[in-house]
Amino acid sequence: MAKIFFEDVVKPTVFSKTKISFNLSALYDKLWEYAIFSLAATGAIIIVLIFVFIFMKAWPVFQASGLKVITTSNFEEQIRHAYFAPLDEQLWEFGLLSLIVGSLTTALGALFIAVPAGVGTAVIICEMSSGLLKRFLEAATRLLAAIPSVIYGLVGLMVVIPLISDRLLNVELQIKYLEYFQLNGYSMLAGIIVLSFMIVPLVIALSVDAINAVPRKYREASLALGITKWRTIIKVVIPAAKSGILAGVILAAGRGIGEAIALSMVSGASANMPSLRHGFVFFLTPVLPLASAIINKSQAISVPSIEAALFSCGVILLVICAFLSISTRIVESAVRRRQGLD
Amino acid sequence: MIKIKIRDASQQLFAWVSALITLAACFGIILFLLVKGHGAVTLEFLLTDPNPTFQAEGAGGILAPMAGTFIVTLTGVVIALPWAIATATYLSEYAKKNLATAYLKLAIDVLSGVPTIVIAIFGVALFTNPTLGFLSSMIEGVEGVNKAFGKSFLVCGIGMAIMVLPYMIKTCEEAIKAVPNAFREASLALGASKKITITDVVLPSARRGIITAIILGMGRIIGDTAIVWLLLGGSIRMTGQQPWWHLSNWLSTLQNTGSTLTTYIFLNSPAGEGNKPELAFAASLVLVVIIVFLNAAAGLIGFMGKVKEE
Amino acid sequence: MGNVLVEHPLSKTNGSAPVSDDGCAIVVENVNAWYGRKQVLFNVDMQIKKNEIMAFIGPSGCGKTTLLRCFNRMNDIIKSFRLTGTIKIGDEDITSKNTDVLALRKKVGMVFQQPNPFPMSIFNNLRLPLAENFPDLEKAKIEDIIVQKLKDANIYTEIKDRLHHSALRISGGQQQRLCIARMLTIDPQILLFDEPCASLDPLSTKKIEDLLLQLKEKYTVVIVTHNIEQARRIADNVAFFYTGKLVEMGPAKKLFLAPETEMLERYLSGKF
Repeated sequence: MAKIFFEDVVKPTVFSKTKISFNLSALYDKLWEYAIFSLAATGAIIIVLIFVFIFMKAWPVFQASGLKVITTSNFEEQIRHAYFAPLDEQLWEFGLLSLIVGSLTTALGALFIAVPAGVGTAVIICEMSSGLLKRFLEAATRLLAAIPSVIYGLVGLMVVIPLISDRLLNVELQIKYLEYFQLNGYSMLAGIIVLSFMIVPLVIALSVDAINAVPRKYREASLALGITKWRTIIKVVIPAAKSGILAGVILAAGRGIGEAIALSMVSGASANMPSLRHGFVFFLTPVLPLASAIINKSQAISVPSIEAALFSCGVILLVICAFLSISTRIVESAVRRRQGLD
Repeated sequence: MIKIKIRDASQQLFAWVSALITLAACFGIILFLLVKGHGAVTLEFLLTDPNPTFQAEGAGGILAPMAGTFIVTLTGVVIALPWAIATATYLSEYAKKNLATAYLKLAIDVLSGVPTIVIAIFGVALFTNPTLGFLSSMIEGVEGVNKAFGKSFLVCGIGMAIMVLPYMIKTCEEAIKAVPNAFREASLALGASKKITITDVVLPSARRGIITAIILGMGRIIGDTAIVWLLLGGSIRMTGQQPWWHLSNWLSTLQNTGSTLTTYIFLNSPAGEGNKPELAFAASLVLVVIIVFLNAAAGLIGFMGKVKEE
Repeated sequence: MGNVLVEHPLSKTNGSAPVSDDGCAIVVENVNAWYGRKQVLFNVDMQIKKNEIMAFIGPSGCGKTTLLRCFNRMNDIIKSFRLTGTIKIGDEDITSKNTDVLALRKKVGMVFQQPNPFPMSIFNNLRLPLAENFPDLEKAKIEDIIVQKLKDANIYTEIKDRLHHSALRISGGQQQRLCIARMLTIDPQILLFDEPCASLDPLSTKKIEDLLLQLKEKYTVVIVTHNIEQARRIADNVAFFYTGKLVEMGPAKKLFLAPETEMLERYLSGKF
């Protein structure tokens, strides 16, 4: 009797119970996976939203100005007129060329200094120093990377600007250029100097990673051929690390283009067009990079047309930086493929 | 032969000089801030609220900006952390090799390259939308305008979360990928589900990397100015119900604006309206000290990880 | 310097090793070596004759690679390495502090266990050491030498269409022969091979062995090998190492037929 009872009743219950709990845990698992996936997907959607929102807000300017947005430069005046225009007669036409030139000149100038200096420092860190000096250099690089841009701006303002105006400017020069712009130390050059210090730690960090990743066997092969240690570094190690170093350079370029605060503090805050005709005064021109323009004119953002103008600065920044981000990977893998590394 | 020697020597000289300039710049900046700012850093400076005034006397201290930095950092990290862990987990544990995953990776890449100023104006576009008005406040009293103010600690925290998200994802992903496969297999072999394996085995093993990601994210948020400038605004004091530090006013404080150390520095520098550089230097000094501590903490965690592995 | 350059590559008939009084290319006397506190070579004495293949055999960790790397001072890059005794190449003691290490390494070329061509084109792999060591060579001359050295290493016909492609895209055996060609560009007199076939398939191994037999006509060859059969096939003389000591040395034929020590006998019969 007891045996029948057990077989008929208990066994099926146990069976069905495990089945139910198994299903439940599978369900939990699935739900959990969906939750994780949707969070990950939000991140992917955000970038689309950024593009959409910024393009939408900037659209009136592009519609009104067409290609003139990137081919003409009369930004300061246009902003002034737009500011005083009545609300129902907004002026939507803007030309951002001088801002684009301001962004490119400061970023390229900074790269011109920071890339050789950064790679050089990386070589010293990886190959030429040891012990305490190496640790100091590494710590200094990390700290430089962590110092907020507003502090770079502040130090630039209090150190670099007076230096430029004391050493490079005089009254004659200032009077001579008064018809174009005011020479007072706030300049492209100040922007380049401050920006160099800001992006050099990036170049160093990525170059250090790239150089450390070069296998020892290349160094041994080169040394065994009677090539000196220094020439081994120059001709074998750095070329082998080229892809990683290039990635760092592109990353630094993006950082330079996008820097807003520090440049708005030192680069001059007025959208002049630097001209090579001015000789070395080219570098002393006060310029207004795209990113700094958004900060500088943000007080007037309540005017719809100015808001749209600042968003069109954002569009150009976004397009440049997205292009740089995508090209990082493409360039990196193209170089590695050419070298035969993968 | 001599030409070659000169070439090599000058190249080496260049490398050494750049390295020494890097070193000098780092110590130079810190020393400069120390010399210029140490005088103004007093206990009173740290513990009083700032006053908007053109004189250095009576300008008050940096209590509210420090609190602002703290609030923004906290909200930013609290929002970004689960988001980053989830994305990193998805990428390293679930994602299959397909177009969607490739797109997700590309999106994170592109997001990490977006300048903070662009994220800031994205925030302006998004949070002035009246449906999101509950995050800040509505603009009232202007006829025909139906817009949210779009500036508050909450809004700023969300902007910060978007900014640090890609960096935190990358760090978390590396940490999760570094967990040996044997751990996962052992857990799965014991009959644990994939979810349990991840939450109870993989993520705890990756905790050191996750903490590093948090510190990294904090450092970035603390140092940012552009997002604060546009999403929190240029008011030096807390604008919510006073006293802002009273616990019952927490929601009002979050929904209203204030400042952080970075905007305080900006506003008090010659570039801002205040033009009290000595206060800017003092606040910079405080900010750098915080950053140095964070850096040291990250270094310590990395060091402890190394020691444990050996 | 100029004269040396004109002399260099093709014009020079061969790189016969500098010969000391008794006709030996390398003379090792009473060498002891340490990594940190650990002694890895004990009182090694040996003579390596010119235009011969000398093979070092012995179980792993017996010190044969360490000794090989002493001949071109490659151990210098290991910080904790220390050495006593003398190693003479020609009349010069190369262990001395005053030795011109760069000149030594040009005289004593080396091929490593892992093929290690640089991550650049095949052509540039050979051009680099030429341009670095002979900066005044003309372009046309450099190209001639590169082709000649690739031919010397029996690889030219296989890769002549791919000279400007990455050197990492050819097979492991080809990479190793490319490394040999690269070593030949600096016109060495003594060639060191550190288990050159360890990572290669039998067919590639055969090609390298044939090449070594050709090379000994012009150069003195020292090879470390794990492969007893390989030593039997190509070596003129064999040195057997065990735990840092040189146990037995002599002509290959004699050593393999009638080993004097029990240790070598056991090693040859695979009892290690």
